[in-house]
Amino acid sequence: MGVATESAAEPGGTRSLAPARGRALSGYLYLLPYLILFGVFLVLPLLYGLGLSLFRWDMLSTVPARFIGTGNYSEALGSAYFWKALGATFRFVVMAVPLTILLGLLIAVGIEAVPVRRQALYRAAYFLPTLITVTVAGLLWRWFFNSEFGLFNALLAPLGIKVPWLTDTAWAMRSVVIMTLWWTVGGPVVIFLAGLQQIPSHYHEAAALDGANGWQRFRHITLPLLRPVMVFVVIMNVIGAFQVFGQTFMITQGGPELSTRVLVQYIYETAFNNYRMGYAAAMSWLLFALIAGFSLAQVRLLRER
Amino acid sequence: MKVMEVRKTERTTQYWARLRRGLVEGMVALGAMLFLLPILFLFLTALKPDAEIIKFQSLVPHHATLSNFRQVLGDPEEIPIFRWFANSVFISTMATLLVLTVDSLAAYALARLDLPGKRWTFALIVGTLMVPGQILLVPVYLILNRLGWLDTPLALIVPAGAGAFGVFLLHQFFLGIPKDLEEAATLDGCGRFGVFWRIVLPLSKTALATLGIFTFVGVWNDFLGPLVFLDSVDQYTLPMGIALFQTSYFVEYGLTLAASVLCTLPVLMAFLLFQRAIVKSIALTGLTD
Repeated sequence: MGVATESAAEPGGTRSLAPARGRALSGYLYLLPYLILFGVFLVLPLLYGLGLSLFRWDMLSTVPARFIGTGNYSEALGSAYFWKALGATFRFVVMAVPLTILLGLLIAVGIEAVPVRRQALYRAAYFLPTLITVTVAGLLWRWFFNSEFGLFNALLAPLGIKVPWLTDTAWAMRSVVIMTLWWTVGGPVVIFLAGLQQIPSHYHEAAALDGANGWQRFRHITLPLLRPVMVFVVIMNVIGAFQVFGQTFMITQGGPELSTRVLVQYIYETAFNNYRMGYAAAMSWLLFALIAGFSLAQVRLLRER
Repeated sequence: MKVMEVRKTERTTQYWARLRRGLVEGMVALGAMLFLLPILFLFLTALKPDAEIIKFQSLVPHHATLSNFRQVLGDPEEIPIFRWFANSVFISTMATLLVLTVDSLAAYALARLDLPGKRWTFALIVGTLMVPGQILLVPVYLILNRLGWLDTPLALIVPAGAGAFGVFLLHQFFLGIPKDLEEAATLDGCGRFGVFWRIVLPLSKTALATLGIFTFVGVWNDFLGPLVFLDSVDQYTLPMGIALFQTSYFVEYGLTLAASVLCTLPVLMAFLLFQRAIVKSIALTGLTD
């Protein structure tokens, strides 16, 4: 097919319209399978959920859904339970995200400094925990954290320390974050490592010849070249952290005193324990607005500097 | 004299560099062991009799036994663990294949083809990266109900193909492939699909393997989806099965641990096999430099 037309058309779009339109149409065929799934299972539910959030609807009752405008939203914003769940979510995000990024970068830099033939081995070791299902991971760590017969307090006992890992409102979320670091840092490690390995080694060699020390090279070569990867990892991590659910659900069930009941758990309980679909949809949209706001702010912040 | 001194400082800096490298590797190795310890703990504790499990004495069992495993595997009527395993493998594999297929095609079109309106299409798709999965939970449940897919594997496979993560990842990766390679292939008479199939995909093995693993693990680990979309115990995935275990067999740690090992072991082995393919593909993509 039109080899010449393709290259001629590249800069100025000089080719005739008819074949161009045909090519564009067939080009959409590449996009189509994804767009169908995207439409049916992402865009449609998104709008459906938005509509649902304006109704009072108990899925189990025979009372039909009733339009109440922004009633669900004002109920959420005036509810102490909503704010408590939001606060728990924030505490998780603020602790888990920076620690995951820092630790992930640190581990990746460490692995990259190791001789190449052993890098895959270490990468696998740090990545393995991410393969554990949350129910298994939760079971294990709930047990490690148990203050009476748990592993951690057994190890700390000779020092005379007894930490209320899951029974204290201040400690419970920290414990969940510790478990989360173990469970999820492998993803960022793999991505950072791939990014580090893409940086051509002669950049470092040239800088070293110019007398730059290790930290200077990291600061002025590695970090700037890693920026696209960093933006990607940070944003995905924030989005993921706001959606935390499995860990808290399995380890603390939201306790003690609801100190670890995060927003998603509250939404889940509202929808599938109390069947208040409209209210659950409204709270989901509030969570979405929050995440969208944070992500946009981050894109701006990380791009500009 | 001077030459000697230069040589001496050269040798000491080399010495220091080697020492530092050794120190770094030591820390990396220590961290790796700490990360593996909980997994090791799971495997070893599943071999302990109940009495030893409850009172922790040492990592290694004093009286190792397979009785926990025998009990878990020996009663497929009561504990359909093989069924759960097959469900998990099927769902994760199909979802991964679906994602790799539709995402690579879409990402190629968005990164390379000259389509009117692709800019805002891409913006729309990437914009949904911020959509938390939970916001979709209730409406997707209602849509799946309408389609009659609730309580079937389809409920977990097909919606997985709608995620924007893979399109974004592959799009960024495709942009980094030098255009002249594709142009050369086009000059050699390669059609558009040929360029995609023979040039772009082979050069993207790293990204595809990465996306494949992330998708597989994500679907395998998914807890909220099966929790909401599946109903009958026969349709459960492994995580759901284990969760059920913890409620109904809660006192029997031994059984729960054995089931957890059986749930974890195959994935770990599959990953270690997959790992080789990734390493190889990384070596292959060295071509892009």
